[in-house]
Amino acid sequence: MANNGSGPGYASPAEAMKAGREKLLYTVALYVGTGVEKPDYLATVDVDPDSPTYSQVVARTEMPQIGDELHHSGWNACSSCHGHAHMSRQYLLMPGVRTSNINVIDVSDAKNPRHHKVVSGEDIKAKTNLSAPHTVHCLHSDIIISMLGDADGNGPGGFLHLDQNFDIVGRWENDLGDMKYNYDFWYQPRHNMMVSSEWGAPNTFMPGFDLEDVGAGKYGQTIHFWDFEGKKIVKSIDMGADGMIPLEVRGMHDPASNEGFFAATLSSNVFRWWKTDDGDFEIEKVIDVPTIDVEGFPVPMPSLITDILISMDDKYLYFANWLHGDLRQYDITDRANPKLTGQVWLGGQLGKAPEVNGVTVQGAPQMIQLSLDGKRLYVTTSLFSTWDNQFYPDMKDKGGQMYMIDCDTENGGMTINPDFVVDFGNEPNGPSRAHEMRYPGGDVTSDIWM
Amino acid sequence: MAEQKHRVTINNRGGAVIEVAEDQTIYDAALAAGFQLPIACNYGGCITCAGKLLSGRVRQPKGTALNKRQSQAGYILMCVARPKEDCAIEVGVETHGQLYRNPFAAPQKRSV
Ligand code: FES
Repeated sequence: MANNGSGPGYASPAEAMKAGREKLLYTVALYVGTGVEKPDYLATVDVDPDSPTYSQVVARTEMPQIGDELHHSGWNACSSCHGHAHMSRQYLLMPGVRTSNINVIDVSDAKNPRHHKVVSGEDIKAKTNLSAPHTVHCLHSDIIISMLGDADGNGPGGFLHLDQNFDIVGRWENDLGDMKYNYDFWYQPRHNMMVSSEWGAPNTFMPGFDLEDVGAGKYGQTIHFWDFEGKKIVKSIDMGADGMIPLEVRGMHDPASNEGFFAATLSSNVFRWWKTDDGDFEIEKVIDVPTIDVEGFPVPMPSLITDILISMDDKYLYFANWLHGDLRQYDITDRANPKLTGQVWLGGQLGKAPEVNGVTVQGAPQMIQLSLDGKRLYVTTSLFSTWDNQFYPDMKDKGGQMYMIDCDTENGGMTINPDFVVDFGNEPNGPSRAHEMRYPGGDVTSDIWM
Repeated sequence: MAEQKHRVTINNRGGAVIEVAEDQTIYDAALAAGFQLPIACNYGGCITCAGKLLSGRVRQPKGTALNKRQSQAGYILMCVARPKEDCAIEVGVETHGQLYRNPFAAPQKRSV
């Protein structure tokens, strides 16, 4: 796990790229909304091509309570603590969006993760009036988690602060400004900045996606820039129709950089954001994926950019179009003018690739995770149980899938690896859905350098 | 004061009959009787526990997750629904056929 007695992670993004090929990958696997009345679990997948169990689930770590809807996850410590020998990347925090429980998983034995403890959702609601935990980031002994609702599931939510023993400290933020909703966040202390995005209130998005809710203003369209030390929002930009439902926010890995990207999921646009020399924040739209008129569908279909990430060398941007069904690679050497360099199709509503590697794809490209060297992109197909059940109703009976895409980091380009597929339709307790993925030693969406 | 109880028949669990107190949720009573029904938020906000009310009446003051179309199709939320009289219900994901629809395919249609 590249620890070497010098604290977790890697000294720099460049060091991380030299870490060697990943051997294991963790993904959340869900039974919520499938008809299998069992808890969600963490699936450990063997991604070592020299192993006899390559491309298989080799361990399953069950949560204690049914119905969590595991979604995203984060570490107790990452590369921001590199050099702190007393810190170690031992615990993966896995929030349940629907129960508000935060499951803490001990990965001391990387091949056999153990459930360590639960921070109870009821406790969190009672002590902080927050619910629906989402993104987890660590900062030395502190852990900060974006919470999407208040205790009754209404907006705007806020940020939960846990200490290193996973005890509730309280609310992290001092001032939410005019924030209406919450979702993902990313921070960079070197520039005293944080960026947060908006999905909607839990009571709006949990039951499913309804265009009437969009019309009623119940989904977000604003991006927030923070004074990280002051824990307060200093600028909010309402993007209107161009910026509906901004989700994943990514920053450059190079800590000297003060910029990054995010996608507006429903509008299916990618924006670049940056901090100016005089301390202001700005955004510009750099990619616009057009809607497609689908026969029999009265409303033009957006591509729905659900996940986006930046390679460790800050050279490529990848994103998933969960309705259209494609994954894209852009060269972002010229930050303001990303250049499309690769594209593959997997499942999706357009029917372009219904079967891949001998398996019928349920869903479409959704969560993505890139290898540290940038050469392998892993992808899962489930978005969120209720939304899956609306757009891809067969997934609840057939399970989701995980694929691997080979990426050309020299000239650009993507190809689906023909030897790798994990079909969660074959899980021993019944079909499940797979969502976010993490590498045991840290990855391109978990670690921040300071 | 003696608590009023009602008989709730779960048609798609072999017609099992459970006794549910007026201030008890159907989910809790079913669990106590050995039936693990779908559950998640446990406060009426997320729809995971939805099932169908075939006859009888229930009270579900915090059932914010259901829209009008879903309520009209007979769905109730087992995590907050409490019986007002004897009821017959269907439970589980197998009842969810009319619960979800693709919003881009049929945005104006009220129900299938
Ligand atoms: S469990 Fe969420 S609405 Fe009942």
